[in-house]
Amino acid sequence: MLGKCFSVICIVSVIFAMCTKNISNLSNAVVDGASRAVELSLSLLGVMCLWSGLMELLRSAGVVRKIAQILRPILRLAFPRAFKTGIGAEEITMNISANMLGIGNAATPFAIAAMKAMREGQIKNGNKESTEGVDLDVATDDMITLAVLNASSLDLLPTTIIALRRAAGSADPYSIIVPVWICSAAGSVLAVLLCRFFAVIFRQKKRRQEGGCGQGYTRRVDNVKSIGGHNKEDMRSTRAGAP
Amino acid sequence: MNGISASVIPIVMFSVALIILSSNKPHFDAFLVGAAEGAKTCAKLLPALCALLVAIEMLFASGAIDVVGKYLSDFTEAVGIPSGMLPLMLTRPVSGAASAATYSELLKEYGADSYTGLCASILMGSSDTVIYILSVYFSAAGVKRTRYAFAAAFIVMLFSIFFSAYLCRLFFGFS
Repeated sequence: MLGKCFSVICIVSVIFAMCTKNISNLSNAVVDGASRAVELSLSLLGVMCLWSGLMELLRSAGVVRKIAQILRPILRLAFPRAFKTGIGAEEITMNISANMLGIGNAATPFAIAAMKAMREGQIKNGNKESTEGVDLDVATDDMITLAVLNASSLDLLPTTIIALRRAAGSADPYSIIVPVWICSAAGSVLAVLLCRFFAVIFRQKKRRQEGGCGQGYTRRVDNVKSIGGHNKEDMRSTRAGAP
Repeated sequence: MNGISASVIPIVMFSVALIILSSNKPHFDAFLVGAAEGAKTCAKLLPALCALLVAIEMLFASGAIDVVGKYLSDFTEAVGIPSGMLPLMLTRPVSGAASAATYSELLKEYGADSYTGLCASILMGSSDTVIYILSVYFSAAGVKRTRYAFAAAFIVMLFSIFFSAYLCRLFFGFS
């Protein structure tokens, strides 16, 4: 992925530089870029050292666990099935808490453990759940919510960004913290709502597919009052929805 | 608001100091372990950063950003996003190192306290590497069909782009 990224950017730049006659600038840019990489990692090195250290300290002092306790009731709403069955719930709360503190190294193993636990839970309970079936190649709703929530940032302390802003000579590198919180929070809420919304849409689509010829057919059966060997749940739902 | 932003780090430092003093456990050793880990992470970042910063610096020097920005500026201004954010919007979902390189180049080009710089800062802080995270998580779980995961993640990313520009106008008084 990175290789492709690098190549595409290089090719585009060289072609553009030839068109705009910026070739000598381009040569300088190559040399500058390489030395700027060292500058950049040096300006990040201290902050990353300090911050990873502090976060490891918070983790060993049990702060992550405390946050997990506070988050539990909120996360229950986002991951209804995981919390109902208890499968993967612990890993999910730990993952989200670690993410909020910016401990990426700790968050990822928790997330992967949660995904694996949920998948194994699917093997055990797959037959009983009518909505998601037993197909193990397919992600469950809670798996998707977890991944999407992780892909939208939860970081409370954007230390790398502060360090880079300071290195770039910002007058007030910390000024972005509150807007970042608001933006992250809104993004996370949207992520959960979208996932719940998509989950409902997909469930309805699937139910319609399973109901043979669809709503019209079942309703007709319902009218004739011939209660045959059709999907009972489907008929119940049509009856409930009928005016 | 600025008071809150500026006092977050002092509060963290103070709480950490209290934790170290109030317990008999060797918390400071944990700090040293974590710090060593952080140094390693940073050192691991350098090779990727080296290649990507060269590429991004080339992109800025070639004038490609200016040309594309000129054509798209009407459009981006209409939706309220600074055209300088485009390279960051493209690299952010793909890779952490690439977006860090783009971000630092962007700060150098436009200034850290400019509208573009502040928007980019908020976006960097409130979004993550969507494609990378989703592929790592789902492949770890052995899942092949991800259904609506990518759609949802990209809608959230798009929302973050617009919302960061909006917050930037709201907080820093850009029009």
